Amino acid sequence: MDLRYSDTDREFREQARAWLSTNVPRHARPAHGPEAAAFDRAWQRKMFEHGWAGVAWPKEYGGLGLSGLQQVIWYEELARAQAPHYINTTYIALMHAGPTIAARGTAEQKTFHLPRILSGDSLWCQGFSEPNAGSDLASLKTRGRVEDGVIVVNGAKMWTTDAVYADYQELLIRTDPASERHKGLTWLICDMELPGLDIKPIRTMLQDEHVNTVFYDDVRIPKTSVVGEINGGWSTALSTLSFERGLGFIGDQLELYERVCRAIDLAGKVRLDSGKFALEDDGIAQKLAGLKADSLAIRSMTLAHITESDRTGEPGPNGSLMKLIVTATHKALSETVGEILGWSFLEFDGDRTAHPWTYDYLWSWVFSIAGGTSEIQREITADHLLKLPRAR
Amino acid sequence: MFLALDRDEIEVANAAADFLASAMPIDRLHKPGCADMNAVLRGTLAEMGWFALTLPEADGGSGLGPVEHALFFREAGRQSGPVDVLTQALAVLACTDTDLRAILLAGSEGVALLVPDGAGLRLLGAPDAAYALQVTREGAQLFALAGGQTTERPALAPACSMRLLDSPPGTAIAYTNGEHIWQMGELGTAAMLLGLAEAALDLIVEYAKVRETFGRKIGAYQAVRHPCADMALRAEVARSQLWYAAAAMAEQRSDVALHLDAAKHLCNQAALMNADTNIQLHGGIGVTDEHNAHLLLKQAMLLGKLFGGKRALLSRLVDATVQD
Repeated sequence: MDLRYSDTDREFREQARAWLSTNVPRHARPAHGPEAAAFDRAWQRKMFEHGWAGVAWPKEYGGLGLSGLQQVIWYEELARAQAPHYINTTYIALMHAGPTIAARGTAEQKTFHLPRILSGDSLWCQGFSEPNAGSDLASLKTRGRVEDGVIVVNGAKMWTTDAVYADYQELLIRTDPASERHKGLTWLICDMELPGLDIKPIRTMLQDEHVNTVFYDDVRIPKTSVVGEINGGWSTALSTLSFERGLGFIGDQLELYERVCRAIDLAGKVRLDSGKFALEDDGIAQKLAGLKADSLAIRSMTLAHITESDRTGEPGPNGSLMKLIVTATHKALSETVGEILGWSFLEFDGDRTAHPWTYDYLWSWVFSIAGGTSEIQREITADHLLKLPRAR
Repeated sequence: MFLALDRDEIEVANAAADFLASAMPIDRLHKPGCADMNAVLRGTLAEMGWFALTLPEADGGSGLGPVEHALFFREAGRQSGPVDVLTQALAVLACTDTDLRAILLAGSEGVALLVPDGAGLRLLGAPDAAYALQVTREGAQLFALAGGQTTERPALAPACSMRLLDSPPGTAIAYTNGEHIWQMGELGTAAMLLGLAEAALDLIVEYAKVRETFGRKIGAYQAVRHPCADMALRAEVARSQLWYAAAAMAEQRSDVALHLDAAKHLCNQAALMNADTNIQLHGGIGVTDEHNAHLLLKQAMLLGKLFGGKRALLSRLVDATVQD
C-alpha cells in the first residue's frame, strides 16, 4: 500500500489548480431552466477549448487519456475552486453516452458524437426506465419495429432527467417482439427533434420538474443510430451502467467529507431551543463525528477502487456497496443538519440556493432510488459479491 | 498511490492466516482452559517471529510496518485471538531494556494488559503473566507483577480472562514516551475487530447457502440477503478506512490519529453489528454455546472497549481534520 502521489500526479494537480483559479465562472449557476442548460454548455465548452475536457477519456477520442487517479485529482480541484458541480445537464453525455459510444459505437458515430459531447455542443438524456420497468429494467416494453433502414419506435420512457434540454437520448427498446427479458433489446441514439416524440414533465417532491416522461408515437430512427448490435442492446446497456458505477460519482464521494465539515461548522454557530450551540449537544456531536468517519471511509474506498482499477484495467466489483454507503451517508447527514437547523429546515420553496440543506435532504431519496435503488444494490451485492442463492 | 494489498502484503496475510488457523483456531474456545495465550502458544508465536514483526531489524525484528501489523491482527481477530498476543507485541516495541526485550521476544514470559476501570485498574490476559503493560496516548509503561495482587473476575468473552488489580502496580520497570505504542494498539485492535466482522459475514453466507426453510435456501430470501449485503458493506467500509490508516501510519503522515480513530470507530461498529446480525440470521442455532456466533459477539464487545471506545473516539473525531 502506498498513499503517495507521483510527480506526474502532483504536476497535474498544480496545473489544474492554476487554470481553475482564473477560469471558474464568477456567477453562480442558475438553479433551473434553459438558463441552467446554457450555463452548463458554456462551462463545458470553456473547459474543452482550454484542453481540460474528458480527463480520463482516451486521447484518440479527444480526451486527455489520464488515469482514474488524475480524474480524482481533477474533481478535488474542481471542488476546491468551487467550480460548477459536474452533475449537471452534461452528465449523461459525458458519463453515459460518450463512454458507451467510445466502447461500442461505429467509426461514424464516434467521429460525429464524441467531439460534440466533449465540447458541450450536444446534451444527452437517458431512456432506459419505463412506467412499468424500473428496478426490473429487462421487462421493458417500448417497441421498435425494424424496417428498411429505420427502426420505428412506440412506447414511453420515464424518469428522464433534463429531457427538454437534451439533443440526443440513449434509448433502450425491444426490437424483437417475440423476445423476453434481456434478449431482443437494442440501444439506439435518438435525436430529440424527431417527429412523434413528446415530453411531459413530472413534478417531484423537490418542487421541480427535472424528470420527465417521454412518449414515442411512430418515431422513425435510422438504423445507423444503433450502438452495438440490433437485439444485442442489453450488453451495450451494461457497459453504459458499468462506467457510471466506476467513475460516475467519485466527485460526490470525495465531497462528502467537506460537506460533513461544513455541517460541523454550522453546528458550532446555530443555537438549539435550549440556548446551547448545536455542537454542544452530545447527540448531535456524536452523529456528526460518526458521519465524518463514514465520509473518510468513503474517500478511502474511492481511492482504493480507483487505484486498483488503474492497475488492473477492470472496474472492480464494489460499485453497489459504494452507492449504498454514499446514499445512506448523504441522507443521514441531511437528517442531522435538520436537527441542527430546527424550524428553518422546514422553510422551502424549491430554491436550492436559498435552502440548500433542505434541498439536499429531499434529494437524498432521488439519490437512493435513481440509478438502481438501494434494495437493488443489496440484491446485486448478494448475487455477485456474496454469491447467495437466487430466488429470481 | 495504491490502496489495495500488493503481492508482498498478500503473502504476509496468507502466512498469518495459515499459521493462526492451526496455532489458535477459534474452535479452541469450546474446550476447557481455553482462555488467553498459554505458554505453549506464546512459545510457538515467538518461534515463528510474530512478536518481532514490526520491531526494527537492528533490534532483531523483521522490520515490517503498520500495514503488516494490521494484516496479522486481522487474521488473529478472525480466530477470536486472545488480547495478550497484541499485548506481547506492543510490550516488545515499548521495552527499551534489551535483556527484558529478549525475554519477551522469546515468549519466555507473558504480559497482561492493564486498563483503567473507573477509579481502579483491570488486567486482561493470562493469569501467569509476569508483566503488565499500560498504554495511554502519552506513552507506555511496563510493570513487574508479583503474585497475590489480583482478584479474578468471570469473563464474558471466553478468549480473554480478567482480573482486578487490588493495589497499584508500583514503579514501572520500563517505559516509552509518545503516541506510537497506543497507535499500534489502536491499529491492532481495529484490525482484530475487522477480522471478527469478516468472520461473522463468512459464517452467515456459508450457512445461508445450505440451510433451507419453506422449501428454499434461506439465502434466497431478501429478509436474509439484504442484511447480509449490509454486513458486507460494513466490513468493506471498515476495511478501506483501516488500510488507509495503516498506510498513513507507515508513511508517518500528520493526520494519522484522525484516520486511525475513524478506522477504530468503524471497526468497532462493523464487528458488533455483524456479530449481532450473524446470530439473528442463524436463528436458534445462533444462540447455542456450541456455535461460534456468540464468541464473535463477546470478543467484539471486549475489543470495542480497548484503545478507544465509541464515546472517546467520536469526541476526538468531531474536531480533527484531514491535513493533506
